[in-house]
This record gives sequence, structure tokens and C-alpha cells, in this order.
Amino acid sequence: MVFHAAWATLLGIAVGSLPGLTATMGVALLTTLTYSLPREAAILVLICMYVGAIYGGSRSAILLNIPGTPASAATTLDGFPLAKQGRAAYAMSVATTGSTLGTLVGIVMLVALAPALSELALKFGSFEYFWLAVFGVLISGQLTSGTTPVKGYIAGILGLMVAMIGSEGIHAHVRFSFGFDQLNGGIGLIPAMVGAFGFAEVLMVMWQPKAQVVRSEGEKGAGLPRFMEAWKYRVTVLRSGIIGTLVGLIPGVGEDIGAWASYAAARRKSKERDQFGKGSIEGLTAAETGNSAVVPGALIPALTLAVPGSAPAAVLIAALFIHGIRPGPMIMIEQPDFIYLVAVMLFFATVAIFIFGISLAPVFEFVLRVPRERLMPVVFTLCVIGPYALTQRIFDIWVMVFFGFLGFALRRLGYPMPPLVLGIILGDLLDKNLRRGLTLSDGDLSPFFTRPFSMVFVALIVITIMAGIPVVRRQVGRLSGALANRGRGT
Amino acid sequence: MRADLYTAPALFILGAAMSYGGYVMDRLEIRQIHPASIPGLVPMLLGAALMLAAIVLFLQARNALASGPQPEADTGSTRDLVLTALSCGVYALLLVGNMPFPAATAIFVASFILIFEADPSKGKAHLARIAAIAIVLGVAVAAATSILFRYAFLVRLP
Repeated sequence: MVFHAAWATLLGIAVGSLPGLTATMGVALLTTLTYSLPREAAILVLICMYVGAIYGGSRSAILLNIPGTPASAATTLDGFPLAKQGRAAYAMSVATTGSTLGTLVGIVMLVALAPALSELALKFGSFEYFWLAVFGVLISGQLTSGTTPVKGYIAGILGLMVAMIGSEGIHAHVRFSFGFDQLNGGIGLIPAMVGAFGFAEVLMVMWQPKAQVVRSEGEKGAGLPRFMEAWKYRVTVLRSGIIGTLVGLIPGVGEDIGAWASYAAARRKSKERDQFGKGSIEGLTAAETGNSAVVPGALIPALTLAVPGSAPAAVLIAALFIHGIRPGPMIMIEQPDFIYLVAVMLFFATVAIFIFGISLAPVFEFVLRVPRERLMPVVFTLCVIGPYALTQRIFDIWVMVFFGFLGFALRRLGYPMPPLVLGIILGDLLDKNLRRGLTLSDGDLSPFFTRPFSMVFVALIVITIMAGIPVVRRQVGRLSGALANRGRGT
Repeated sequence: MRADLYTAPALFILGAAMSYGGYVMDRLEIRQIHPASIPGLVPMLLGAALMLAAIVLFLQARNALASGPQPEADTGSTRDLVLTALSCGVYALLLVGNMPFPAATAIFVASFILIFEADPSKGKAHLARIAAIAIVLGVAVAAATSILFRYAFLVRLP
């Protein structure tokens, strides 16, 4: 187990370090390499890849000013200025300490929250599961679209539409196969995901200009752990850890939002606010603690509801199914120890990132210097053989290529990828539970709105959509301003 | 974004097609299923949702263009993109499945490196060095992936 944790975390850090290769892609590709491993070892390997890649993104964020994964975008704000001041190794060790502590906070919350959420989810029926799927796709679309939420919604709807292809889950009626027998079984999640995240990223990396690495040399005590800083910013660490974990709980949101939310909160509360963006240790700590805490947070809904908290968690759900584990409300009944086993695996991964992060900083600098022209064909070879290995169908390679081009085009047009993938995953859940719910109620829509949990979901969905409409946001701002003024007047 | 003005109608048509596809889908009356569980129900709703989203996207794009110049999109190398797409496409869609996987992979990896790294203006020594790297890496990647998948994961390679 220790051996698997070590190599998988190391590989994860390398994948995360390389700009363009994301944690999702790493987990997706590695899933195809874990078919023959025993179940526990396979899950451990994938979790270590996930934790390692999210942490590894900080390397290139600090040394290149390019986040290795989207999760490290906030790290560039203070990490790169520190590197330019000649303190790159120092920044990397602060990031390592922050990531370690963030994951630990997340693990504690995973152990505390997951069983309770699982118990709550046991009360869900078809009506609630339908709304849960709708909410997951909506919130993912809202939070991951850069400029306008509608693009996130469209990406989510496109994903749901892809999920409609093939044999449906209630009557086994084949939909939208257009006479192609290969489509009868539907579009495979792994080929679609490897294409959308892997091949699309190969295209993106080769399209973008090359980056220059900042060298770190001659720093005194550079690689040492930064517990003094962590203690000095203990409130920031705790706050960022909690924010990160809570962000992880929201389906489809992911590590980047966790990092930004933690960074924004740290900046708002900081006594050294003017240092943020200029090489602030507190800012760097908040960003790294926040994104790492999302990992255990994202696993909470993934394990208890089978609804992923982030894109890599989505791939992890697929991997769990492949390895015979059924995530969802029944997990605490069927495999009561599994959540605690995952917490132990996360702990292994955390120890590994701490040891490797502190001891191997120069090695990761070397990894960053591998020319993209030599790395990308290797990545693409894995994109081809990985999905093929699962079903041994050439058709899955075609699916991967199609989703690669589609993913690249959509990303260039400003459409986020996580809602698309989440739509593919949640499509079946949404479809089956809407129709099953309507059958149970004999076509009556009211249970979808009147049952207590359904009402909560409907309220959340309405608030989410309203929050995305600029006119509504402005009116709410005006109203709250007027109320505040009236409060001061009285 | 100006491109939204063109993608919105395309998305609207896709949504309409999806709704129509759901509407004309078999209702399975012969199996006496409940009308609320017809297979076309969710596709119809998704198509309608996409049409609505496409209208909102179009209106937003039109209003944004009317309100002033838009920030320019990031630019990259179109040449590198086309070459990458072509070489990856040829490998995945033509070579794999039509020739032994190790040979296809070695050719792809070596060609990819040669296409992007070889610069004839740097002289013969440079070309020879890049060609050597390309061949060694091509053979190594082909051998490593083939052995790993064939013997460790017991995959019948294409």
C-alpha cells in the first residue's frame, strides 16, 4: 500500500506540475491503468493521483506563473511574485505546508460529515434525486463559467443530451442511435472524459505559447517545512480548510473555486491586505490550503450521493463503479467502512505530498523543463490506449477524438468542461428519476415541489438561477443597500 | 463574444432537433407503459431548455456587442494546432487498428517530435540529434505502452 501511495502521489505531482495536464486527466488516464489492480489498491492509487495533482499544480504556478491545474490559478498571484524575488523554493515549501494542512482539515470534515449526509440521503426518493441531478448540473454551470452562467448551463445541457444516447434505464429503449449499433450502449464516460480533458488539453497546450521557468537557487533553508508560517496564519489555514471543504461539497464546483473563495476570504480578513498579489505568504497559504481541502470535500457527495463535488471526483466515481464499489446512500449500509478507508487513503496521500514536496523540489523543477513537443505525444498515446483498454473497441477511440475536438472548440468559445462531464454522469440519474417519480405520482407534478427535501432543492435552484441574472443581482444589491440605510437611520 | 451570435442559432437548431427527436420517439404503447415514463420525455425537455438557453445567449451577445467593443480573445499558434490535430487524428483514426499498435505508436511519437522540434535552418547536426531523440523516444514509448497493456493489463492491442 505504501509503495502504491508513493508512486501514485509522485506521478500525480508530476502530472499536476505540467501545465495543461489536469488532475481530471491524470485520474482518467490512471483509471485505465488500474483495471488489473486489487480494488483497494486501485482506489488508493487514484486518490493519491488526485491529491498529488492538485498539489502539484502549485509548482508551475510558482515557477512559471502558469497554474499546472486550474486549481492553482490563485496560487500564481502570490507564488510567482515570491519566485521573482528569488524565493521560489520558500514559496514551494509554504505551498506544501498549506496543502498538507488543508487536506488534513478536509479529512476531518469528511469523517464527520459523510456518514450524516449518507443517512440524510437515505430519505431521498426519485423526486429528490431528480432535483439533485438538476441542481448539480446547474450549480456546476453557474460556478465554472467565466463570463456568463448561460454558457455553463449550455455545457451542462449538452452533457445531459449526450447521456440520452443509447439504451435508456427504465424500458431499455434505444434512443438517438441513428442506426449505429455501436451507439446502442451509449457514449462511454471514460472515452468522453479522456477526450474532453486529455486530448483537448493536448490541443490547448500545443496551441498556446511556451512558458519560461523561473530558477530557484541559493535559498537558505529553502526546502524546510513552514510550520511557523502555518502557526502564524492558523486562523487563515482553518478558515481556508473549512471553506475549501464546503466548496467541495457543492456538486461540480471544484478546486479552483475553493482556492479563489479561500483567497478572497483571507484577503478580506487580513491585516496585511496590501501584500496580497505581491508575494503574500498568507495569500499563498490560503490558496493552497483552500484548493487541497476541496479534495476530501468533493469526495463527500461523491461517496454518499454518487454526485461528484469536482471534475476529478466525477472520474473517481466512474472508477469506483469499474472496481465494483457502488457509491451512493447505500454505501454506509453495504460497505460501512469504506468512507473511513478513503479517509485513511487521503491521509497516506497527504503524508506523501508532504514528504515529496519538501524533499523533491528540484526534481519537479526538472520535470517542468521537459519540452511539450516530447511530452504531448506520450500523453496522446495514453489517451488512445486508455479508453480502448476498457472495452477493446476502436469505436471508443473515435469517441475520444470527437470529444477532444468538441472540448477544444467549446473551451475556445468560453464554455466550461466540468458541467459537460457532470451532465454525462448525471443524465441517467435525472432521466430515470423524473420518469420514475412521475410514474409513482401517476403524472402528478406536485410531489416534485411539495415534499420537504424537494422544496429545499427547488428553492436552491431558483436562488442559483436568479443569482446568475445581472438585473436581479443589481436589484437585490439596491434593496439590501436601502435596508442597511434604513437600519442606520432608525 | 461575437462567435456567440453564430453558435446560438446552431445550438437552437440542435435543441429543436432534440425536442423533435423526443416527440417522435416510440411511445411504447404496445408495452402499456405509463405515459409519464415515455423515453422521449427528457430529450424533449432538454431540447426545450437548450433552445431557451440559446435565445438568452444570443440576446446577451447582441447586447454586449451593442454596448461597445469586446475584449479580444487569446491568440495561439494556428499552425501548431492544425499540425497537432492532423498528426493525432491520423494516428488515432487511421494508423491504430490498421497496423500493429507498437508500429503505429512509434511512427506517431517520432513524427510528432520531428514535426515540432526539427528546424532545418539550424543545420544537419541539429537535425541528426532531433531525429535520434525522436526515434529513441518513439521506440521507447511504443515498447513501454505495448508491454504494459499487453502483459500487465492483459489487453488485446489493436
